[in-house]
Amino acid sequence: MSRRGPKALFITIVLVLLITPYSGMSGYLIRLFATIFLWIGKTGCWNIISGHTGYIDFGAVGYYGIGSYVTALLMTKGHVPFLVSALAGGLVSGLIALPIGLPTLRLRGAYFGIATLAFAEAMKQILLEFDKTVEVNFFEGPHGITLPMGPPNEFFYYIGLAIMVAVVGITYRIRGSKFGYALRAIREAELAAELSGVDTLKAKVEAYIIGAFFLGLIGGVEAYWLTYITPHMVFDVFITIQMVVMSLLGGIGTVFGPVVGASFLTILYELLHRDFPYTYTIIVGFIIVGIVLLMPKGIVGTRTTKGRVRKI
Amino acid sequence: MAILEARNLTKYFGVLAAVHSVDFSVEKGEILGMIGPNGAGKSTLFNVVMGVYRPDKGEVVFKGKMISGLKPHRICRAGIAKTSQMVQPFNQMSVFENVLVGGLHGKGLPLSRAGKEAEEILEFVGLGGLKERPSGSIPVPARRRLELARALATGAEIILLDENMAGLNPTEIEEVLRLLREIRKQGKTLIVVEHIMRVIMGISDRIMVLNYGEKIAEGTPGEVANNERVIDAYLGEKRCFA
Repeated sequence: MSRRGPKALFITIVLVLLITPYSGMSGYLIRLFATIFLWIGKTGCWNIISGHTGYIDFGAVGYYGIGSYVTALLMTKGHVPFLVSALAGGLVSGLIALPIGLPTLRLRGAYFGIATLAFAEAMKQILLEFDKTVEVNFFEGPHGITLPMGPPNEFFYYIGLAIMVAVVGITYRIRGSKFGYALRAIREAELAAELSGVDTLKAKVEAYIIGAFFLGLIGGVEAYWLTYITPHMVFDVFITIQMVVMSLLGGIGTVFGPVVGASFLTILYELLHRDFPYTYTIIVGFIIVGIVLLMPKGIVGTRTTKGRVRKI
Repeated sequence: MAILEARNLTKYFGVLAAVHSVDFSVEKGEILGMIGPNGAGKSTLFNVVMGVYRPDKGEVVFKGKMISGLKPHRICRAGIAKTSQMVQPFNQMSVFENVLVGGLHGKGLPLSRAGKEAEEILEFVGLGGLKERPSGSIPVPARRRLELARALATGAEIILLDENMAGLNPTEIEEVLRLLREIRKQGKTLIVVEHIMRVIMGISDRIMVLNYGEKIAEGTPGEVANNERVIDAYLGEKRCFA
């Protein structure tokens, strides 16, 4: 497949998706598509840091949760409009990513994974226990926060589509840029990258902050969509694991891997859940293992390395 | 004035002094050879100069500026590059992209300029035909040249070569030596670590000898070859390298 192939295909699909809600798409499909867009967004964020640099982030959900809570608090306590609140959620996540990323991105391999996992779990515990400890009613602990009722699903369909396009677009731009080469060099041989003039820590922290910003934004969007959040929901480690699995399935470190992986897995869940409500997770597990064994570089990764250098 | 000068450089690993009070300097356009038995501290010395390790004592001065304590990418951007003993190509990137990284980040060029220079450098080192190949799939001699190409792309004025010719056959070595002489003609300075005596004696203007982390001799190839301490520590019987 030529380099332009997947890009042209993606743009075509996005253009079609822009108009489909007006062509009598069922409410169910609109919901499903919005869910897929937001999973592509989340997986894309994870892919920006972990896929490109090889630093496997197990705490990505931390930024998603922070974005959810910032949005919920601003909307309920400050009566700030949704879009401003969600944007603030992204910005706060990005800001927190700086002091978290600076020390943790010096760690390698499993140590980075554990440190980030601990960060996300710590955030959850803080939100659960803060009110009781300080004796205030702010984060509402395990009871969670109820947000104002949002607009209909079409609204989230378009917000999701916009975020997906933004995340995929940014990944695409990063890929062929000076910054992208720095990230890929870090993944392949970090010391050699540093010795070739790459400011490795700066590049890693920048990628981490970009990912955190969009995760926070998506957290805000989903909080508003669900209208109810608790720390257990929005800091659920399962969300991080989904991002990892979707990236691996699609092709880690590729531009369109998250698109393919997230779409595939979300649709698979949906289909199997309908027909096998009790056993579908087992079936999904087997399918994931099968794909990983047959296509260790993921669906997109395997396609592109059949040629010579993988370019996507 | 020396382009690079190290004073009293010392690096401990635990209680072991891997490099101990080493002074050396190199002039612009010079080829300085460095020899010594395995574990003498040659690679450690290179890593201290490059900022991979922070020296416990001493300092490195490059063109009149203190560089010890800077991070490796800062030292690279200042104008010193190193090729590694264990080749470390960016495996899943093409040969061309490997060199591109040096130009983009080491030299700070924009994409188009870095690309053009990478092409030229690949032609220069004789890798033009392999430039689209993933660097992990090219043969070892080509990988060693790629290390050199990447170092050149950073625009470095001084290149430290850590056993860049290990594992090459005599023809390939001749080719690399020709390249190194060309590079020197362009006004660059080289510090070469090599075990092959014929190579180091042939190319170096001056040689320094390390043993147990200390500098035990320095001088022209002829002087070093006849130095008693060097023969004891490293060269063995005289006839071995005649």
